[in-house]
Amino acid sequence: MPVRLLLQLSRRNLLRHRRRTFMLLLAISVAVSGVTFMNSLIRGFQHDMREAVVVNMTGDIKVLAPGYRDDPSIENSFVLADGWAPDLPVDLVDGWAARIKVPAVILSERETRGIQLVGVDPASERISFIGSVSYAGEPLASPEDARLLVGKALAEQLQTAVGRRLVIMTQGSDGLNREAGFRIAGIYDADGTGLEKAFVFTGVSALQRLLDAKVVTEVSIRLREEGSSAAEGFSARGRLMDYFTGLDVLRWQELEPQAAAMFAFADSAIFIWFLIMMGALIFGLVNTLITSVMERVREFGMLRALGMRPGSVVVQVVLESTLVMALGVLIGLGIGSLLVGWLADGIDLSAWAEGVELAGMRSLLVPRLLPGDLLLVALMSLVFGVLASLYPAWRAVKVKPLEALRR
Amino acid sequence: MNGLVVNCRGVTRIYSDDAVPVQALRGVDFGVRTGEFVSLSGPSGSGKSTLLNIIGGLDRPTAGSVEVDGVDLGTLSESQLSDLRLRKMGFVFQAYNLIPVLSALENVEFIMQLQGVPAAQRHERAQRMLSELGIGDLLDRRPGELSGGQQQRVAIARAIVTNPVLLLADEPSANLDSATTEDLLQTLRHLNELHGVTIITATHDPMVMQIARRQVKLRDGAIVEDSAALDASAAGA
Repeated sequence: MPVRLLLQLSRRNLLRHRRRTFMLLLAISVAVSGVTFMNSLIRGFQHDMREAVVVNMTGDIKVLAPGYRDDPSIENSFVLADGWAPDLPVDLVDGWAARIKVPAVILSERETRGIQLVGVDPASERISFIGSVSYAGEPLASPEDARLLVGKALAEQLQTAVGRRLVIMTQGSDGLNREAGFRIAGIYDADGTGLEKAFVFTGVSALQRLLDAKVVTEVSIRLREEGSSAAEGFSARGRLMDYFTGLDVLRWQELEPQAAAMFAFADSAIFIWFLIMMGALIFGLVNTLITSVMERVREFGMLRALGMRPGSVVVQVVLESTLVMALGVLIGLGIGSLLVGWLADGIDLSAWAEGVELAGMRSLLVPRLLPGDLLLVALMSLVFGVLASLYPAWRAVKVKPLEALRR
Repeated sequence: MNGLVVNCRGVTRIYSDDAVPVQALRGVDFGVRTGEFVSLSGPSGSGKSTLLNIIGGLDRPTAGSVEVDGVDLGTLSESQLSDLRLRKMGFVFQAYNLIPVLSALENVEFIMQLQGVPAAQRHERAQRMLSELGIGDLLDRRPGELSGGQQQRVAIARAIVTNPVLLLADEPSANLDSATTEDLLQTLRHLNELHGVTIITATHDPMVMQIARRQVKLRDGAIVEDSAALDASAAGA
């Protein structure tokens, strides 16, 4: 098959009908840039959602005692050996944090609230939100620090302030209630999220003393961004399961199934959006190609009369469609990428802050352009372009050369 | 192969597209020897173009058989017919039918490109052919930039540049003025006499009929007069 000749004919036919080609390119590039930009927003939303889950005390992977998820109390805890360190590649892991997290009641002079009391090593908590929030007062100094970090919203409910004392009641390892007074070291500001009401922090060693148990209830592991793919996550989990024999080693998707479902839905949304945009585009593309083919029936008949095989005519129509699609896709990806670059600082969604927070997003949505998505859009568009041209191509060869020449 | 480059036996063509079937050819027996210049003539609807199209493999007979260069066209698929046209036939159409996006030179090279002739060789042959036909200075012009006569010369160059077994021309002078027609006929005669190209043309034009060495007249789908038969009987007498 004379591919070079067919390419030459296709290219010149596209140039011959400049206005039609321009309109096709415009439609394709608008659709592709729209898909690219929308994908980047969905990826940004996914990233936010994952970050929110991972940073909000969950981590990419968490080690828990069996039964802790059903009964998150000190009874379902485990002992960490001195100098514990699972064998994980340094470039895979961003950080670790061993914690005690138990339900507790917090009392001020005026109010009482149920909370999650979390004993932490402050130096390890850069992997969670508490390592990056702003404070009134000061953060915890060490695992031994027996003061509290209270969320701003909870502090307002308890009508308390930095330096004041609060009473904590929780259950010790012997099943008996423990009660102790703690002074507030700092009040953290987590942008008004529910975290402020849910979590109260103190030093892990101080909490172990209160509970009378040198145990932890969880080890949270944060992977590096580039090491957070499903494959890497599974690999890390496997190694951790070998190290923490007898404990539950769970990925964030298992710990937060609702968020994982939304994350997966976002993946589907990318395809749905792509199909909607491409569906509309393909409808127009097929119509335009049919018009183009019908206008040139005589020409195709002549080519066949001169000895061009029917298959070559099909290839010529498909090539024309593929060429214009490829060019349109390139332009569309370029425009989409430029748009994403232009909005690289993020889109301010603070006007819809409450709804945005419910969806697990931050009030600043930063579009994220993934090379894999660009490649997928490019390849799928080309496939759609080829498919869209098959029917017009079939119409082009369906007419017999003689009938075509008589038109 | 009995020396015939074209051998039609009992060729019938009935068009059944309309409510009343139309019999365009009625059992035509017709043969053409290598090197002949044949004109098919007759009034509109006589079947001359139908016969030409069937010989060229652009149409299939309802009954009967057609052989071109010893190949029975009835046994060939559409793709095989395309190949046969590509390798053995040249076509000159009434409306020139050049490829509008290609230059004169590229149009002439087109068939050779389909045949897979190397670029340098086809370029040289196309250029030489266009020069022989007197339009060697118009190589880069596209069909839209050429006159009717110039376009027809390009079409002829395209048809014969590959040395086909058979040149089929359907009303080649229909869109030309008489001066251009005269030029065209000289070209055809030159091709036939000097290069030995076998030519069959369907025409209304008396000028074309006169220049052909064999005239075949059709009426109502049948051959009513064939100068070759007359010559043979005259020779026999």
